[in-house]
Formats: sequence, structure tokens, C-alpha cells
Amino acid sequence: MGKKINIWYFSSFLISIVVAIPIITVFGSFFETTGSYVLILKNTFLIDYIYNSILLLVGVLILTFIIGVGCAYLVSFYNFPGVNFFKWALILSFAVPAYIYAYSLTAFFENYGTAFSILKNLFGEGNYNSYIPKFDGMMGAIISISFSLFGYVYVLTKASFHYQSQNLIELGKNLGFSKEKLFFKIILPSARPAIVAGLSLVAMETLSDFGSVSFFGVSTLTTGIYNAWISFDDLTLANRLSFYLLIFIFGLFILENLSRKKAQYHTQSKGGFKSKSLIDLNSYKSLLAFSFCMIVFFVSFLFPVLQMLYWTVIFPKHLIDLNLIELFSNTMLLVFLSSCLLIVLAFISNYGNRVSKSKFLEALNTFSISGYAIPGIILAVAFITFISWFDNNMINYLEVKSIKSIFIGSVLGLILVYFIRFYSLANNGIKSGYLKINYSIDESAYLLGYSKFKTFKNIHIPYLKNSILLIGILLAIEIIKELPITLIMRPFNFETFATKAYVFASQDLLEAAAAPSLLLIVTASFFILITSRYILKD
Amino acid sequence: MKKILFIILALSFFKSLAIANEVNVFSARHYDSDIQLYEKFTSQTGIKVNIISGKDKALQKRIIEEGKNSKADLYITADAGTLGFFDSKKMFQNSMSPAIKSAVPSNFRSKNWTGIAKRARIIYYSPDRVNANDLIGMTYEELASPKWKGRIVIRQSNNIYNQSLVASLISNNGKKATSEWVKDVVANMARDSKGNDRAQILAVAAGEADLAVANTYYYALMLSGSKGPEQQAAAKKVLPFFPNQGDRGTHMNISGGGILKHAPNKDNAIKLLEFLLTKEAQQHIVNNTYEYPMIEGVEPHELIKQMGLDFKQDLKTKVVNYGKNQAAALEIMLAARWK
Repeated sequence: MGKKINIWYFSSFLISIVVAIPIITVFGSFFETTGSYVLILKNTFLIDYIYNSILLLVGVLILTFIIGVGCAYLVSFYNFPGVNFFKWALILSFAVPAYIYAYSLTAFFENYGTAFSILKNLFGEGNYNSYIPKFDGMMGAIISISFSLFGYVYVLTKASFHYQSQNLIELGKNLGFSKEKLFFKIILPSARPAIVAGLSLVAMETLSDFGSVSFFGVSTLTTGIYNAWISFDDLTLANRLSFYLLIFIFGLFILENLSRKKAQYHTQSKGGFKSKSLIDLNSYKSLLAFSFCMIVFFVSFLFPVLQMLYWTVIFPKHLIDLNLIELFSNTMLLVFLSSCLLIVLAFISNYGNRVSKSKFLEALNTFSISGYAIPGIILAVAFITFISWFDNNMINYLEVKSIKSIFIGSVLGLILVYFIRFYSLANNGIKSGYLKINYSIDESAYLLGYSKFKTFKNIHIPYLKNSILLIGILLAIEIIKELPITLIMRPFNFETFATKAYVFASQDLLEAAAAPSLLLIVTASFFILITSRYILKD
Repeated sequence: MKKILFIILALSFFKSLAIANEVNVFSARHYDSDIQLYEKFTSQTGIKVNIISGKDKALQKRIIEEGKNSKADLYITADAGTLGFFDSKKMFQNSMSPAIKSAVPSNFRSKNWTGIAKRARIIYYSPDRVNANDLIGMTYEELASPKWKGRIVIRQSNNIYNQSLVASLISNNGKKATSEWVKDVVANMARDSKGNDRAQILAVAAGEADLAVANTYYYALMLSGSKGPEQQAAAKKVLPFFPNQGDRGTHMNISGGGILKHAPNKDNAIKLLEFLLTKEAQQHIVNNTYEYPMIEGVEPHELIKQMGLDFKQDLKTKVVNYGKNQAAALEIMLAARWK
């Protein structure tokens, strides 16, 4: 064993440490003194911030669980009209970022908005404003975030259902379980790691969301961080609030680890994998199943697309003015470089954990990926601060050229911050794939004389091909949608679809933001569509 | 694929190496029309304008951390308080050329930064529900009057225009009196603050409130029809009112910029600032953003003229003071539970 393990161990250790740097920075600041803002905050809004963060989190988790698991269950086990369409169409919701969803929701339901126009054109003049529901505030934020994030739960749960052994389900049937009992006693529990992985991604994205909560004026811990930093220039307090956020996340992790301690989720090798036959539904039930999926598809994808399309059609000037080739190639450059880096390193780290079986690495790994809950804007600034500190203290001391321009305002720096931000996504995905490969497979390979590297290359990679593709798509889509890091880290004259959309939206020119938003959604959808057949291939 | 990627990488690398006659702008003011202006500047002078746009404080943080290695020459934003705050961090250098000084009135610039265009933060009212007589002599101070209970909409306390407005009240009436004012205004609100300035005006049009506080250009934007016929019609249901005409005048704010301490292309940056203050550039700005011109001899947009041009601007409260009082402004707003 000896030597080879050490290389894997070391690489895995190093990757986790790099990702953990911003979290360590946050810890460090906890012991520094803060300005007077902390007093004002304590007296007024701190309780509100925490209460709102919890309410938002619980709302989003419940909604994404119902939508995500519900859709995954229906399309995995039943046959009804459109089931093959929904299998991939529901993934399209990934293409819509929460902030663009928020723009659409507001534009449609606001006073004299699109809904008002529709009513006016249908029924003539009238005061419809008071009859149109206003999806704003907390409700607006929960809806925007849930419909743009439920895809995580859907995709991971669906993949897990797909690999669920028919034998287990038949066993349940032989024991005389009803459909409900089958679902709650066998199907749901055995998909739990995937569901929890999906929900924890949703939780972290929700806590770090700034775009939609600030758009709807919901004061969460994230708003508090922003206020502390922007208005009171109190970065220490901003970091301290981030620390509270992290405690939230650690709580979630510990809960999840404790709850599944006893369970093992490897596919049983005995008996092999038998693919399921879909259950046909009667006409009433198939209508219900169809409606559920159709409503989710419409609300999550068609609605924001139609709103953006509507504006782009009435104001075509904004589309014509865009430099499409430049926006597209910039976006793709970032996607390609970051996804490759993330997947390769997440793989190395996971394999290192697997072969070394070190509890310490496992813990470090869990610790580091919780950085996902740090708002992107804070992460970017932590990175800039770190580079600046390093440059001022180390590089200057050695009297060599400053490294700042290499890391700040460069594509390289941008990709590094993406790496820290999205490492959790890559890592979680590959980890849940790995959980399904029984250790006995590794051991058989070693018995056959395979080296660690050969096992990795010839067994793990082919086995995890679908997981890699899935992670690749998720990363591509996240990077296409990412906004605050791109805004602050980018080089001069470097625009992506997301930055272009933001720039217009921030001037209250949502109708001009529609064209880049629509192109962002189309690009991300294209990614989903070309790869969906790989995810769905049985 | 690999080849294409290599070419893209190589191109972007050499692009960044090429030494050019250029000026680097960090901008928190993101009008597409500004970019057209920069293109005009380039064609007149041969100086290329490089831009990074973003959120104010994030851009500032990046400039501060980059320190003397920063490539940023010019910082442009849409709030006087933000400029003042950044100036207090000693990030600007004295760059007010004689041309700038002669073009811009002294209360709209400091020795380190200058206004480029003006906007007023005014009151809008529903003529159906508010008697015009009730508004005679109306001031910002009177928004605290109990007669407006449950009738006012204004956006959130984290909005920088509100912070500058409250900051200007602090410098006129003191922190204690303004603190009382803030409490009374919060009590007068028709709903918890939400939405942008345009949403406040629409709320009055829809009958959710009777008075709104918002910047002038939002109203013109709606009247222009670029938000669709419904919002154009809605804007017409609401009328603008310029407060404090009997005393110091209506609260004014600016878009402006300053040249950074470590600017590598200082001369080009001064040229760009001077260009932005020429008649040609000012006309382009006011036609596209519905702001008020900073220099004499330029007419604002027709829709802005219709709102009334003969109002008294507050020239007494120097915009330089906004930055000094912004933190205190937010503090009292948060203490009054202004969302």
C-alpha cells in the first residue's frame, strides 16, 4: 500500500484545504472587534434576519422536496401521456437563474404588468391591479428560488430511482405492501442519500442567494452581510454573519450524517440489476400525473421564457444591439475551463478519500464544501483580500513582480473563485456516485492485480460516466448563470450573458435585460438537451 | 475544439499584452448609452475606453485591494454619497482641470470628483386623492405629518438614493430631528417598503398609496412608453411635485466620477471626464437617461421639461455632505425599522 496512498491522500488534502481557505478566513474574523453596526443590528434586525433565513430555507426545502421527488417518482415508476417528454423537459428549469425568475414574476404580476395587459386586452379597460395576486416579499423569494432549484432534487432522485433494484420493490410487493407503503418504506428511504444530497445543495444555494432576496426586499442573513459590508464598511461583521450561516450548514450536515449512519446504500451485487417495468395508470390517474408534471414544467420553465420572449419580441432593438458572438464565446470559455478543472480535481479528491479511508480527510472534505453557503460576492472579496495580503506580505518581501494582476481581473482568477464556489457541487455529485460502487468491486480489482490508478481509470471512471456527465452539465449551467463573482473578478470589457442581463436590470431596464436573459436560458437549455439523452439512457 | 480554445486563449493573452493608448473605467452606472459615448470619445481622440461595470462597493473593494497595481483610472457612479465615501478612503487624486471647474457648479463637485449629470428625488401624488392645495408649500419634512398616515410609499432603507436623501436632511436638521422624522415617515407608510422607484409610482397609480418618493428619470422612463402602453398610461395618472420650493429647494443627487490615486493613464482619464462635460456628450446623456444636464446651455429631454423646469434646486446642501452622513442615515432608518 504505502506510497501510492500518500500521493492520493496528499492531493485530496490539498484540494480540500484550498477550498477551505475562505471558511478559515471567516473563522479568523470571528475574534476581531467590530464596528458599531453590530449594536444597531442586534437591537433591530438580527432576529428578523435569522427568522427570515429559516423561513426561506424551510419554505424552499418543502417546496423543492414536493416538486422534485414528486416529479422524479412519477416519471420513474409510471407510464402516462408525455412521460418521456417530461423526463428531460423538467430538467430545463435548471436553465433559469433565480434572479431572472424573480424579474419575470415581478414583471408579470406587478401593478400594470403583463398580467394587467393580458386582462385588459381580453376584457377591456378596468382596474385589475387589486385582483392580481402580488407574488413579492417572502412568497416571491420562495417561489423564485424553489422553481429554479428543484431540478437538483429531481435529477439526483430520479437517477437514484433508476438504479433502484427491481428486486427490492418485488420483495416489498411479495410482502403485501400497498403502493403507499412501498413508496414510504422502500422507494423513498433507499433514495435518501440522493434526496438529501439534492436538498443540501438547494439549502446552500438558498442561504447564499442574494439576487432574488434583495430584489424582493427580504432581509436574510445574506442581506445583513451585504448591509454590514456595503453600508457600514464592516467586513468583520459581514464575515461574522457568514459564520452564522455556516453554523446553519454544519447543522444540516451533521443531521444528515447522523441520520444515515446505520444505513448502507450500495447496490446489492447478488442477483444483479434488473430494470423496472413502468406501471400503466388508468385515465383519471394519468391525467393527474400529467397535470402535476405539466404545471411544474410550465411554471418553472415556460413562464419565465415566455415573459422574456414577450419583451424581446416587442423590443427587438435590445436583441439586435447585443454582440452575440462575444457574449457566447466568453460564457463558453469560462464554462469549459472551470468544468474541466472542477471535475478532475473532485475526482482526485474523492478517490483519495476512498483509498485512504481516512476519517480526517472525510471530515475536512465535508468542512470545506460547506463554503458553498458563503455568498459568491463575499467569496470573491475574500479571494481578492487574500491575494492582496499574500502579495503585500510575501511577494513584495521577495522583491519580485506583483502577482495581483495575474489573479485579480483575469480569467484565471475568475476560474479559481468559481472553483472554490462550485467545488461542493462537483464533489457531492461524484461522492454520491462513488457511494454506489461497492468496496468489494475495488477489492476484486486489486485481487486481479490492478493498481490503484488502473482501478481508478478502468473501473471507476467508466462506472461513473453518467455521474460525470451529469456533474458537467450542472457545472456548466451554474457557471452560465453565475453573477456576483463574474461581475467583480472579470477582466476589462469582458461581458457574459449574465453580466449583460444584470447591467440592464440594475438600471430598471428589465425589458432590455430580457434578450440576454433569454439567450442565457437558451444556451443553458441547449446544454441540457444535448446531454439529456446520456442521463436518460437506460 | 482544442485548437479553437487555444486560439481564443492566445488571442486574449496577446490582447492584454498590447500596449495601447487607453483609459480604464470602473463604472457602477450602467447605461448602454454611456458605452456609445465612450465609442464617440475613442473615435475623436484615438483613446480606447476599457470598462468594468459592477456593484459600487465591490468595485471599490477591488480598487482598494489592487492598490498601486490597480489599472483603474476613472471611477464612475450614480450617487454623490458613494463618491464622498470613496474619497474619504483617499482613493481619488485631485484632478479637477480648469475646464471641469469652469463647467461644473462648485456645489456639485469636490476637489477630487465631479458630477456628470443631475437627478432630483421628488414626490409624486395622485391628483384624484390628493388635493393640490394640500401640497402648497409641501416639504420633505412634512412627509412626517400625521395627515399622510398610511398614504406614503418609498423604497427600502438599503437604497442609496434614500440614504442620500436622509443624509441631506441630517445635514439640514440634525441627526436627532431627522431620527424623529424617519420614525414618523415609517408610521405613515402605506406598506412595508419594497420594489424600485418605478414600483412606488405605480403603487400610487394603482391606488395603493397617495404619495410616492422617487427619482425624476423613472417617471420620464415610464412616460416615454419604453415600459409599454399600460405603464405609460399609469404614469399619467400620477403627477410630479417638487418639494421645498419655499426654502432650500428640491433634493438633488448626481452621477459623477473621479480619477483614482494610482491611475496609470491620468491624462487620458481627465480628457474623458472633460469630454463627458462637453455640450455634445451632455446632450447625449440627457436624451438617453432623462437626467438633468450638469452644464449650462444644454436642454433636458422633452419629457423632463414637461415635468417642470423652473423649480428651485437645493444648491445650499452641498452634495459633498451626503457621504459624511450616509452611515448615520442608514443607522436611524434601521433603528426606526424602515425595511
